[in-house]
Amino acid sequence: MNFDAIIIGGGIHGSATAYYLSKAGMKTLVLEKGYVGRHASGVNAGGVRLLGRDFAEVPLSKEAMSRWQTLDDELEGDTGFRRRSLINIAIDDADMSTIKTRITKLTGLGYDHEIQIDQQELRERLPHAAHNCVGGVVSEQDGYAIPYKATSAFRRAAERFGATFHEGEALVNLRQIGDAWQVRTDKASYDTGTVINCSGAWADKTAMMMGDNTPLSYSAPMLMITARMPHFAGPVVGAISRQLSFKQFENGTVLIGGGAKGFADRDNNRTTLDYKKLALAAETTKTFFPIMKTAVINRMWAGLEAYMPDNLPVIGAGVNARNAYHAFGFSAHGFQLGPVVGDVLAQLITTGKTSFDLNPFRIDRFERKVL
Amino acid sequence: MSDIFDIAIIGAGPAGMSAALEAAQQGASVAVLDRKATPGGQIYRDVTQSPLLEPSVLGSEYTEGAELVEAFMEADIDRHQNADVWHIGENGEALYSQDNQTRRLVARELIISPGAMERPFPIEGWHLPGVMTAGSAQVMLKSDGMVKDGAIFAGTGPLLYLIVAQYLRLGVTVNAVVDTTPAGGVGRAMQYIGGALRKPAYLIKGLMLLNEIRRAGVPVFRHASNLSVLGETKAVGLQFEQDGRTHSVNADHIFLHQGVIPNLNMTRALGMEHHWAEQQLCWTPTLDDWGQSSIPHIAVVGDAAGIQGAEAARHAGRLAALKAMNKLGKLSEASLQQQSSDHLRAMKSFKAFRSFLDAYYAPTPEHRIPAASNTLVCRCEEQTMGQLRAGFEQGAKNPNALKALTRCGMGPCQGRQCGHTVSELLAVWQNKPVSDIGYYRLRSPQRLLSVDELSQFQNIKPAKKPAEVSA
Repeated sequence: MNFDAIIIGGGIHGSATAYYLSKAGMKTLVLEKGYVGRHASGVNAGGVRLLGRDFAEVPLSKEAMSRWQTLDDELEGDTGFRRRSLINIAIDDADMSTIKTRITKLTGLGYDHEIQIDQQELRERLPHAAHNCVGGVVSEQDGYAIPYKATSAFRRAAERFGATFHEGEALVNLRQIGDAWQVRTDKASYDTGTVINCSGAWADKTAMMMGDNTPLSYSAPMLMITARMPHFAGPVVGAISRQLSFKQFENGTVLIGGGAKGFADRDNNRTTLDYKKLALAAETTKTFFPIMKTAVINRMWAGLEAYMPDNLPVIGAGVNARNAYHAFGFSAHGFQLGPVVGDVLAQLITTGKTSFDLNPFRIDRFERKVL
Repeated sequence: MSDIFDIAIIGAGPAGMSAALEAAQQGASVAVLDRKATPGGQIYRDVTQSPLLEPSVLGSEYTEGAELVEAFMEADIDRHQNADVWHIGENGEALYSQDNQTRRLVARELIISPGAMERPFPIEGWHLPGVMTAGSAQVMLKSDGMVKDGAIFAGTGPLLYLIVAQYLRLGVTVNAVVDTTPAGGVGRAMQYIGGALRKPAYLIKGLMLLNEIRRAGVPVFRHASNLSVLGETKAVGLQFEQDGRTHSVNADHIFLHQGVIPNLNMTRALGMEHHWAEQQLCWTPTLDDWGQSSIPHIAVVGDAAGIQGAEAARHAGRLAALKAMNKLGKLSEASLQQQSSDHLRAMKSFKAFRSFLDAYYAPTPEHRIPAASNTLVCRCEEQTMGQLRAGFEQGAKNPNALKALTRCGMGPCQGRQCGHTVSELLAVWQNKPVSDIGYYRLRSPQRLLSVDELSQFQNIKPAKKPAEVSA
């Protein structure tokens, strides 16, 4: 069978790329070895965060954030997005000056989405924060979405434009023949003009088949969620200098993250939990929000996620083969970028250019570095 | 003694207690963790301290449990009651809550017996206040001596008749028994009659219970189908069909029961291999004859290993303990074979008998796989069959995708109430065998765990010494 583009990996970036490519009229196939949204894209914390982004990511993240506000309409689906604002809490003067320094730099670059707030305003926005919290920084457009729903919404929208998704079909080999590619899986063989690597925690293997080496590592960020409790927090909550991260959903459940990592068994698609680190996250949460002492944990889980040495993703064209593209290594903050990365790739593939500076995300940026 | 044991056993029902007794007799250091205040499991719940004046109304099988509990209490075993296990690790670690603190013990061999639970009965209105399971009626009776007058008992299976008989012996009125055992049960089960005849006492006991109910004058509606609970905000009655006619019976309390299935949450959270047991229409851990699971050093015994009943559970417990002793190098291969043979033979005969029961009391598809779109499937997250169907049509073809899309199975019961229904619904919708569909991926904790308790995990305590354990 022939396709214009074949995407390896049915996570949010693979599904979104399929959406923008098929919308642009390309005959697109997504190959997913498990099922769409099986790993990081389906089970992450759902944070839709512009606050605190690396400066290199701010342009992409800002564009993504404005798209999230109307994404349900665009996709004619339900991503579960809620605009709630995100507040990173400061617990001392050092935190407050960290915020100030960052905002000064952002202002210099022409960005005004992060706003410093004092203790009084923090209390108005988060009345249950502990008394020692002295202020914070807020981004108003931020919020959360439901990861699996968002990934599915992209997939269904892509299918409406004619994209094909094959679940339970794993890539075996890629072979470039002239400018085109032959894609062999455990089920079939396809010819395509373009291949796109959206393989998440497995992206280094796909990249290798495309001739590109990449120092990807993978891990299992852990999450836990409480049973329903009375509403006490509207905004999504983080902290400047502590591993604090939680959000309360409309149904009253509280999702606690914080970046603690469990154990990843990539070969078996499995993760196991590290309770000591989850305990620390529980401790941090209840220290910042004493009301959480009464909460009960209902579920704990982890997903397999890819990390790059500089915690920035790889986005853009491959360097050692023609008609090869990458989008992976989002290092646990790629979900929010879903609505923009796929479009950027689609622009690159169909027009050869994009308005975004992708240099910080080049796959060969580590080539000369000793890591 | 440290908090490291040769053998740790989770659950002090007939299987767990028997495993502990055998292991202790063989000279192993043994710890037993049990969530309840007293040993006995579900079947022998509170057998040594029944609130009833005449516990004999509960039947001889119940009172016989007292002997096992007494032997268990006298043996050289580290017994930990009120020890609610929330995590079992492949490494032999057990984390459990006791006195609002997490404690930990480690064993070279683990034998777990998380027991059975009643099969969900997803019919219209099954979520309404006033509807409970027959098992919960029995728990109220055994633990608190509480009963409900004028109730309807509906469904199928020996436990249903037993609890009705227990009610009647106490002089409690029963409005009706609505028996959903389909017609032709005997014919269906006849191929297994050989197995049943090897256990004539059991067969007779079942028949006697039915006779006892009929003699007491309780209306019994046999071969009833298409059950639905009547009522808007609470149950007011039960509607059903019999011989092509629609009946309805009024009652404020309706007890439903259609057999029991293994409680999967612990074995699934361990990532153990499971298979769909067509005979019992449930997921079951895949085990060898000694209860050894796909995870080294972890055996499963009792009804969690497939429904066999209390007496078979005693043999299963002994077998797992013998195998554990063998693995520990404390029992030779020859002795293992020799000491196992009687128990293996007994298990075989119980299995043959169970084939007969399973065929006779098979729960019908209409009461397992809801056809009405407004029937609740996931009670915690209030997801109806229609909502799940919509999720399926949006591309969620397996239980985990459906869970992620609709939240079914995400609530506090962790899929206990909806897991089997969801597997079977997805199988029917795709015209595939249930074995191809799979089940929810589950994780610890095994139950709600307070943030406060979890946050103290750094200061985790070793198991209490038995002397410290309050009676």
